[in-house]
Amino acid sequence: MDFPEPQAVDPFPTQVLDPDSLAKAFVEHYYSTFDTNRTNLLSLYEDSSMLTFEGEKLQGAQNISAKLNGLPFTHCSHHISTVDCQPSGVPGGMLVFVSGNLQLPGEEHQLRFSQMFHLIPTPQGSFYIYNDIFRLNYA
Amino acid sequence: MEMDPDSLAKAFVEHYYRTFDTNRSGLLGLYQDSSMLTFEGQKIQGAQNIAVKLTSLPFQHCSHHISTVDCQPSGAPGGMLVFVSGTLQLPGEEHQLKFSQMFHLIPAQGSFFVFNDIFRLNYA
Repeated sequence: MDFPEPQAVDPFPTQVLDPDSLAKAFVEHYYSTFDTNRTNLLSLYEDSSMLTFEGEKLQGAQNISAKLNGLPFTHCSHHISTVDCQPSGVPGGMLVFVSGNLQLPGEEHQLRFSQMFHLIPTPQGSFYIYNDIFRLNYA
Repeated sequence: MEMDPDSLAKAFVEHYYRTFDTNRSGLLGLYQDSSMLTFEGQKIQGAQNIAVKLTSLPFQHCSHHISTVDCQPSGAPGGMLVFVSGTLQLPGEEHQLKFSQMFHLIPAQGSFFVFNDIFRLNYA
């Protein structure tokens, strides 16, 4: 059964992507930015954005970016296992629920994590992250 | 009594999993026709369909143990996003199953209903 579709957005000018493809494209973009160019995450958030990172609450793109850039590792590698999405009820909004593993250099074992995003459309036809919650899943 | 969002989220989570573990058919009352559940990748819409899915899971008894609860306002009027991690004990299983779940709660008649629900087991 199909969920109601959010409005079309336009990161790829001549295509209309279905919600699941949009969610996957966003997730790939988010984690590749995190892993290769972490300072660029700033542009994915706005002043109203909220991040709860392992229980710590932060608000606003600057504070969120400072937190993520200040994490105690220079390199990391996210491997995504599952991506689920649903329209959030906010116009054009999408909830994206991710699980996967995080590899840090020098660590023998990967860390398992879950993360959820609430994406809101921008006037420019893209998305920004309004809500972001991250948790490691310990054994 | 007015509760802060974190307390509301915790109260909801306790109610949800207690209902799940002791009176699973009672979960019907927490969803509406517009509600969506994605359960281990399977998409289901509407309270009836969701209740059927949850009450027909292949175990009669289960016990959820909650490790973490995080919440944020969702941007929908009065809406709350709740992000849960924990473990699920099934009878006869030696090891508990780890899971994560997110809810989007929308106010209704002084309480909340579950508009969005996404559940995933976290495998090793």
